[in-house]
Amino acid sequence: MDELLQEFIAETQETLEALAGEVVAWEADPSDRDRLDAIFRFFHTVKGSCGFLHLPRFQRLSHAAEDVLSEIRAGKRAADPATVSAVLGIMDRIAELTEAVAIGAALPSENDEYLIGALTAQEETPESPESSDASSEAPVAIARQGIAQSVPRTIRMPLSLIDQLMNGVSDMVLARNELSRKLRERSSDPELEGAFERLSTCVADMRDAISKTRMQRVDRLFTAIPRMVRDLGRDLGKRIDLTLEGGDVEMDREMVEMVVDPLTHIVRNSIDHGIETPERRRALGKPEVGALKLAARQSGNQIVIEISDDGQGIDTSRLVEKALAAGKLTSDAVARMTEADKLDLIFQPGLSTAEQVTTISGRGVGMDVVRANVERIGGVIALDNRPGRGLRILLRVPLTLTIIPGLIVRAGGLHFAIPRAAVVEIMHDNNETLRVAEVGGAKIATIRSVRHSMIDLEDVLGMDKPAQTCPRVIMVVRSATGAPFAMGVSAVENHEELVIRPASPLVMASGVYAGMTLPDNGKPMLLLDAAGLANAARLPNVVDDRAAGQAEENEPSAGVEMVPALRFEELSGEKRLLKLSLVERVEDVDAGLFGRSGGQAFVRLDGRLVPVANGVHSFAANHVSALRLRDGVQEACYPVAAVLDIVDMPAVPDMVAMHGMLSGVTVIDGEHLEVINPFALFAALPGGPIAERRRGRCLLADSEDGWTREILAPLLRQAGHEVVMGLPSDAPVDPDDVVLCSGDDVSQAAEMCGCRVVQLRASPRPAGPQDGSIYRYDQDALMAAIAGTRR
Amino acid sequence: MDQLYLLATLAGVRVAVDTREVEAVVKLADISPVPGLGAHVAGLSALRSRVLTIIDVPALINGAPTPRERRGFAIIADISGHSYGLMVDVIHDICQVPEGDLPLRGQLGPAWASYARAIVEHDGQPYLLVSLASFIETGALAQAA
Repeated sequence: MDELLQEFIAETQETLEALAGEVVAWEADPSDRDRLDAIFRFFHTVKGSCGFLHLPRFQRLSHAAEDVLSEIRAGKRAADPATVSAVLGIMDRIAELTEAVAIGAALPSENDEYLIGALTAQEETPESPESSDASSEAPVAIARQGIAQSVPRTIRMPLSLIDQLMNGVSDMVLARNELSRKLRERSSDPELEGAFERLSTCVADMRDAISKTRMQRVDRLFTAIPRMVRDLGRDLGKRIDLTLEGGDVEMDREMVEMVVDPLTHIVRNSIDHGIETPERRRALGKPEVGALKLAARQSGNQIVIEISDDGQGIDTSRLVEKALAAGKLTSDAVARMTEADKLDLIFQPGLSTAEQVTTISGRGVGMDVVRANVERIGGVIALDNRPGRGLRILLRVPLTLTIIPGLIVRAGGLHFAIPRAAVVEIMHDNNETLRVAEVGGAKIATIRSVRHSMIDLEDVLGMDKPAQTCPRVIMVVRSATGAPFAMGVSAVENHEELVIRPASPLVMASGVYAGMTLPDNGKPMLLLDAAGLANAARLPNVVDDRAAGQAEENEPSAGVEMVPALRFEELSGEKRLLKLSLVERVEDVDAGLFGRSGGQAFVRLDGRLVPVANGVHSFAANHVSALRLRDGVQEACYPVAAVLDIVDMPAVPDMVAMHGMLSGVTVIDGEHLEVINPFALFAALPGGPIAERRRGRCLLADSEDGWTREILAPLLRQAGHEVVMGLPSDAPVDPDDVVLCSGDDVSQAAEMCGCRVVQLRASPRPAGPQDGSIYRYDQDALMAAIAGTRR
Repeated sequence: MDQLYLLATLAGVRVAVDTREVEAVVKLADISPVPGLGAHVAGLSALRSRVLTIIDVPALINGAPTPRERRGFAIIADISGHSYGLMVDVIHDICQVPEGDLPLRGQLGPAWASYARAIVEHDGQPYLLVSLASFIETGALAQAA
């Protein structure tokens, strides 16, 4: 019986959720027979099941609703708004009752008669005052797009089972990593490695599949919206045309739950403050029905949710007035503010453009809370304000809560992770643009004349600071709330996708951690919480905007367009500039990874060959700083002696050169700097990425021969070929390999193996017309033959 | 009574734990410390893919953290959805106790007052029956706050 009841509750709750939108849609179009049938079916099912389960209250409610609906089906009654409200009321009551049964609480004892009365009352007075004039028209019209009609087959299963599966897979991954370590210690056995590779792929696939079970359609996020829009629209006397799009986009179940509140709030705001009343809209020359559109789409590893309306937008001047009145701003500061800054005031706590506090919004829980909530889950909120014409709000949230890109930092001999989104900038403490000062125990880091509060992670966490020879790393950290601050750590070690899991309340109580992660090495690591660190260090929460403001004022008034550029020192010693937007990142690359082939320098990065833009491929040091460049499609690496800083340079250099690697010369801080021409830089790269082409080996058949060994082999090596002495007896010959030999017999044998053969002869003249061999001192012909046979 | 008890020595005191609270007993390997917390949180340790928060129970009770080289075994327990490892000095036995729980007698030291529920007698020796959850919920969280 219990099981049946559980099943009934789950099913009812799910159907209710799905139906909320249907009822509203049905009201908009009462002739929609399919929707009416769906709702009727729901009540019918509830009535049937609860009679069986002996739940009399459910039965009475659903019975009453069913009666009314069947009358509407028979055409005896019209689906006016009052009836729909009454049906919705019954649905709500059923939801409450279900909830109560589910948690085993006493059933709320409100009078069901009232609701049933509301339904039946309509029969006697079909022209009730409520259902007159404007409100008799449907206030909301729903258009859903992109929803597949066919229902996928599903099963219901407890979340705990999925979690168990997840854990099982994580265990598997760890076991695999351990096995892989053990395998690496032993001598290599290709067969074993092959089997292990296969296992690895299976485990990885499995992990992907299991993570997908956590995904949920955004539809779920949208289910409550139509009902809310309808109810609010009726309450406020506004008419709204709601469009929902992209409900089939999938995101993490937990994420859906985190986004519900901010989204609901934005929609409420938009109806309450954004969309005007029909009269006002008419006066403004807008269509009476306001448009509200919610659209979700996936963009990379983010979900973008767009909420747009065609209401009045945000009145920034009123925001400024309010901020001034509240004493949050000085008129001096206002004068410096750009339109975007003013718009940003909407996120200040306690500011609302609502003229009066209504029950719907403007109760002090404002956009500041929305932004804080969105940022807490690693999201971003952006506004596109068109005063008088509408407001578009973009929410960007990560696909999943549990996997985030993070930086691994070292401090006090321990490793910590920090979300990459929280880190604005990373620099060594010997950087020229950084100045750290200490006064009265407070540390202040001034970076490019912006002062930040500075903390050392070791101090905040109460650890010893071990002495270190290399410079410490200062990172500028931005928390979801509050001002950015500078944080010193021993080093930044790595950058990884981290699977974050909740830490125990004991650990969370410290306030500086946001969770923990178990990297592949099996050593647990804690995720730092930027806002928590600032709190723990009791940092003042003030942004130093003075320098930024001054910098803006000091900008050349001539109106020269400035672009940020990276100032760096070439390996040859010149200081040059490169447009910053081209630089993907700067990293230290092992000099050993650089190489040269076919006149083109390249470097092996992340398992691919990347061309080196300035052609340098040998270095004095073991490590070399390299700029990773990208023009959108193509990638390049640019090794430099040192990266100096970021400066603003005019978009057009002071002296223009049209050709070559340099586009001109520009003067920054009284220093003449050459500007790299990005066009020429990318144009000079080999077309298309360097394919990860298997370079065949040169097999020297006559390995005993002195000439082959002493003269030919070094020549080939010098030309960049891999040389193997003798024909490999154990491994099969690769089709890309080239066999070099002088005897006919070897040549035939090699040809039978299916690989290409270059036959050499000692005499300058060919032995006969059929002789395809090459004179062994004819270097050009030899190289051409090797390249040619290799295609 | 067929209730099983895990008998151990904890901060020099003989204790008994209801085995329904115990998930496993493991030998402690690597513990990654958690700076910024009191001494009673020894750190985090990985048990397969699970991460345990290791509680230094002796430190919780008498304030003296267990030196690294004397860390031995930990009782693994799942307390309100999180996995914990509670450090103990010595594990003696898991056995049934014929009499079951006996009421507390005598004046219990203040350090133990919030953790002990009853007495369990085994081989003529009294053992304090402690609840693992109380170490976390009343002990550790209270100190952390």
